[in-house]
Amino acid sequence: MPITTTRRRLLAGSAAALALPAFARAQGAVKPRLTAISQWSAGSDGAAITALGKKFEEKGGVWQHSPVPGFTTDMMNKLRAQIIAGDPPACSQLKGPEIAAWSKIAPTVDLDAVVAAAGYEKVVAPDLAKLHKPAGKWIALPLQIYSTNMLFLSKRGMDRAKADKVPVTWADFNDLAEKMKSSGMAYPIANGGTRADDGQKFEASLAGISPTAYRAACMNLDKKALEGPEMKAAFAQTRKISDWCDPNVGVQPYANNLKRFVEGDMGMLIMGGWAQGVLKNAGFKFDDYVITPGPSDNGKPVFLLNADAFIFWQRKEADLQAGQMLMAQLVMDPAIQTMYSQITGSIPVRTDVDLSGEGWSDGQRTTAAALKNAMGNNQAVLSLAHNMAQENGLTAAIIDVITEYVKNKTIKPEEAVSRLAEAVEGAR
Amino acid sequence: MVRRLPEFLVIWVPLLLSAAHLISFSIWTIWISFTPSTLVPVTGWVGLRNYNSVLASRNWQIAFDNLLLFGIAFVLLSLATGLLLAILLDQRIRGENVLRTIFLYPLAVSFVVTGTVWSWLLNPGIGIEKLVHDLGWMTFKFDWLVNRDMAIWTIVIAAIWQSSGFAMALFLAGLRSVDADIIRAAQIDGAGPFRTYWRVILPTLWPITVTVIVVQLQFAISAFDLVRALTNGGPGIATQLPALVVYDLMFQRSQLGRGAAAAVLMLLILLAVLLPYGAWRYVRQRRAAHA
Repeated sequence: MPITTTRRRLLAGSAAALALPAFARAQGAVKPRLTAISQWSAGSDGAAITALGKKFEEKGGVWQHSPVPGFTTDMMNKLRAQIIAGDPPACSQLKGPEIAAWSKIAPTVDLDAVVAAAGYEKVVAPDLAKLHKPAGKWIALPLQIYSTNMLFLSKRGMDRAKADKVPVTWADFNDLAEKMKSSGMAYPIANGGTRADDGQKFEASLAGISPTAYRAACMNLDKKALEGPEMKAAFAQTRKISDWCDPNVGVQPYANNLKRFVEGDMGMLIMGGWAQGVLKNAGFKFDDYVITPGPSDNGKPVFLLNADAFIFWQRKEADLQAGQMLMAQLVMDPAIQTMYSQITGSIPVRTDVDLSGEGWSDGQRTTAAALKNAMGNNQAVLSLAHNMAQENGLTAAIIDVITEYVKNKTIKPEEAVSRLAEAVEGAR
Repeated sequence: MVRRLPEFLVIWVPLLLSAAHLISFSIWTIWISFTPSTLVPVTGWVGLRNYNSVLASRNWQIAFDNLLLFGIAFVLLSLATGLLLAILLDQRIRGENVLRTIFLYPLAVSFVVTGTVWSWLLNPGIGIEKLVHDLGWMTFKFDWLVNRDMAIWTIVIAAIWQSSGFAMALFLAGLRSVDADIIRAAQIDGAGPFRTYWRVILPTLWPITVTVIVVQLQFAISAFDLVRALTNGGPGIATQLPALVVYDLMFQRSQLGRGAAAAVLMLLILLAVLLPYGAWRYVRQRRAAHA
């Protein structure tokens, strides 16, 4: 009689739950429990967070994760509803400047002590750290990192164009694309046509031309930088990239092109490290392609940071509070970050994790090395297209201009520059 | 004998409930549109700031132009297609029931499905264009879906496919209800089939025509799922429509105040269609009562 058993179990469970706070006061220790929401429900993302939950349970915790499938914004709608109802999850996925914005509408947990105990601040990129302590205190913890401007080169595509040199600057990149085109490849670039993809084409162009201009324009919204010559050059480079893409792609995602990319029908792809996970899931091998940092005109890698994070919402329940501390420790743990990134294809937030061992791909090693290098040269910047540089509203207004420019080839680069500056002004 | 519920309970209670629902949420939205709400609803007063910023945004301007084009083209073309189908079916042909079901069937399909299927058919790389190329006509070009100037027409095509069956069904009912004596009289007077339709039958259809126009227009104004599945507002922002802008502002950009303002603007557009229709019906009823 399964129903009876369930009910009995449930009763026992709720009795235990009711007894827990009292027990806690008596014992000074409770069974940690965590209510969490995220968008990660399927694929490698789902597998990774399930593995994290297992670790949480191994440490004696109760793991209550409710995934909200779809876009990040769908997860946000649930989070909004829970916050308005006065019942936020103990922990939720949230990233970039949204952490600062959301922290104003509901109280968050001060994580300074546990972060200091783990010595986490020293091993996190400074720009990234800032996002997670908007008012000076840590309230959220980054979990994994992607760079949105990695350059994927198809081995067969390179062979077909008889090219063996990996492009470093945009000039190299453009030469290689021309070379591929003259070898009979109709569309050398395998990018798609989604809004985020168009945003990535532009941010990779600008950051590769000048990380300083990128920081001033896209991260600080400096008016002079927004109208500067680098912006025009970046739009011109974006146009080149989109001219080399298949126009029939429309608004389809890049993933639809991966087969043609691996077969050498298309040669290059500018995409985040997550494409590696998608390629792997589609059954392609690591040696079908090479991953290298995106083109950078000063020759040193530019890293467009995209990081997933957890924010912790204040709860009164002792078991949830204990769960939050346990979760924070786990998220910062190098072993956990290793496990997580090996499943999703990202790289760890901690810059002190050794990626030479088994379980890591060359692409991940290259990405991690690029991050270290870029941080050393102050060339690690926050991705605009993936909502790391600005809040959603501003990002969307900027991407509107970029995606319209990519799709409408009659708009001139200088026109796009002034439209973008206007859009920023209007959305502020 | 089973006791019957009093009529007013059956009609008025649900009607009042849904009216209260509709009106209270409309008022709430109107209120939000005047507040500085972003992530969550907040109190405060910003006057027309949200309206000004929505009206000044390129997204809304494009959406409004598209709505005019889409609304007019879709209503006229679906009306014409529906009427043509109805007249053809009215010829007492064999298999009328089967054909009628086929033409009406798209209405039973959800807009998301329609949008997705048409997005495959119209995709130049895998759909109709590729089919014709494979048949040997290599210069054939049909790339409206990825062409920003023509993309809005793909939505018109899919919407007509979906809903001309509805217009057909209404027209067919109208055609069938025309008094057979009038038609016979016209034939005795020597009118041919074309003339009979044009001068005798069609004029009796115009109350149905107005109904079809209003129903189709309110669909056009609130169109959302079809566009989202077919083009998602793209390429770029070329096929934005007001409902997409509202959704985008509220749930993608977390700008509740501006989203509410855009929603109120949509309501005003809808009223611009419904109020004249209501007035027209009122006048007609009064005339009928006097006659």
